[in-house]
Amino acid sequence: MAELIIETTNLTRNYGDICALKPLDLQVPEGEWLTVMGHSGSGKSTLMNLVGGLDRPSAGSLQVGGKDLLAFTEDGLARFRREFVGIIFQQHHLVPYLTAVENVMLAQYFHSVPDEAEARSSLERVGLGHRLKNRPGELSGGEQQRVCIARAIINSPKLLLGDEPTGNLDQKSTLMVMELLKELRAEEKFTVIMVTHNQEVAAWGDRTIYLNDGMLVREESRLKVAEV
Amino acid sequence: MLFRILKNSFLKRPKAIFLIFLSIVMGSAVATAFLGIAGEISHKMALELRSYGANILIEPSAAEGGGFLRDEDLPKIKTVFWKYNITGFTPYLFGIAEFSAGGRKERGVVSGTWFTKQLEIPGEDVSILGIKGIAPWWEVQGRWPEDADEAMIGAALAKRLHIAPGGEVTAHVRVGMQKFRIVGVVTTGGYEEEQLFAPLVTVQSLLQQQGKVSRVQVSALTVPMDDFGKKDPATMTKEEYEKWYCTAYVTSVAKNVEEVMAGSRAKPIWQIASAEGALLKKLNSVMLLLTILALGASATAVSTSLMASMAERSPEIALMKAVGADRFQISAIFIGETLIISLAGGVVGYLLGNQLAEIISRTVFNSTIASPLWLFPTAIISALVVSIAGSITPLRRALLIEPVTVLKG
Repeated sequence: MAELIIETTNLTRNYGDICALKPLDLQVPEGEWLTVMGHSGSGKSTLMNLVGGLDRPSAGSLQVGGKDLLAFTEDGLARFRREFVGIIFQQHHLVPYLTAVENVMLAQYFHSVPDEAEARSSLERVGLGHRLKNRPGELSGGEQQRVCIARAIINSPKLLLGDEPTGNLDQKSTLMVMELLKELRAEEKFTVIMVTHNQEVAAWGDRTIYLNDGMLVREESRLKVAEV
Repeated sequence: MLFRILKNSFLKRPKAIFLIFLSIVMGSAVATAFLGIAGEISHKMALELRSYGANILIEPSAAEGGGFLRDEDLPKIKTVFWKYNITGFTPYLFGIAEFSAGGRKERGVVSGTWFTKQLEIPGEDVSILGIKGIAPWWEVQGRWPEDADEAMIGAALAKRLHIAPGGEVTAHVRVGMQKFRIVGVVTTGGYEEEQLFAPLVTVQSLLQQQGKVSRVQVSALTVPMDDFGKKDPATMTKEEYEKWYCTAYVTSVAKNVEEVMAGSRAKPIWQIASAEGALLKKLNSVMLLLTILALGASATAVSTSLMASMAERSPEIALMKAVGADRFQISAIFIGETLIISLAGGVVGYLLGNQLAEIISRTVFNSTIASPLWLFPTAIISALVVSIAGSITPLRRALLIEPVTVLKG
């Protein structure tokens, strides 16, 4: 069995009196594609933010890649994010005044040294070799999401997080993005954690967990889903 | 990459950048103008203040028997180390006399002096000296004496003698007498109103004190006294004494003059010197305060503009943090932006400030000023101070932005 990349014990996140994530024990083996499903407010994004080092838990333990995220300072978490994690957002979140290639280079800049050739190659891998110099406003939603994917993978992360990456895309673009992620995962061997509402998107993963009201209520492997 | 980020950020947000630039330019320009004219204002004000009277009095020293000074030493006053600071001086020779006019007799003081004296010293500029220059506030009804037998009489004495310009007064002294034509009546508000003023040479002859003077009043440009200036020179080390001697304190200028006048003792007229010092100090403090206020106002404007800019850019900052930017990297981008704007603002502020200083100098003092070299780095440093002070709060806000909160959704 593969080594665990994520291991949580009683992982909890409270916002004041509201418990966004109730004590959660979760184990994710390296290389797995885990889908997190649930209604709005079920704690999906909270879990993703905690695992990605964007937020801190209120209680419990959180090990990612063998590192205890609770022990990190703010700058330590920033270093963890740039070296270990790639994030794809639903809203893309590209810097509007930078071109596609510069948006990819931005992640390189914070990681180490920007390399334009490598950034171009990354965009070519996601099929945007002809859109290098376009700014986000000149790209379609699907193209923007592919720039976001190129940016997420440019530093060869061990963990790719997707927060409803297809939430704003039409069916054709969704299919294109999912196929792209599948290809990239096969090449890069990263672990994927994807939050989605979409059952079809969830079906691309190896395993799906269902959260409800901050609590893990169901867990299914791909085989089982297929049976359902 | 940093350059690309900065370049694109500038090009994409010209209005916000221009507002920050403008705030920095204003602060830097005002600081340049105020600091540029501060020295000039002090100098001009000191000159203006010289019209309030002499600030150094030279008298015969007690050690020399308290007799007289020699008028042949007078030109030496314009050859001393601080000669360019000495804007004027005038000698006096006093004698007790009985004045008679139209059958009336009154006792008073006959005072020999220079009214307007052109002094030519080989190798030095021509100096116009005399009482007219150092006491410009004297109100003269009639005119100033010009000939050897002309005199000007104090208003109180003239009243007692019932004499007006055009009349004649005879001065009787122990050793002789002299008839004077009165050409002016002087009102000073002081003891001078009890005296009769006549040319020095005439009074020396009347009193049979040729070549002698009783005292000399000197008007000199000086710097305000500070703690060091107030120290007793006798207790100073050699280095301290040199520093004291080479600073235009009223005491050091007095000492300088005393050295060339044989048998003299020169002392500051403190009520004049202190008032001038206090006024110049206050003036410098006001200029400094205005500069600080202008810089503070600019820093506030920069801060406000940056806060608005930060609010607008919070998704961008949150994104940078989400992809791994730490606090140093975020700071580098925003400080880099501010530094570039402040350097450009400093240069423009310097050019603008110079023009402003020129306009102020021309309007207020009717003269031009030379911009000192140190003003350029001062303008740049002012711009940097304004931008750094204005960036502190916005940058702290930027570093507190949480990606989870901003990128939600």
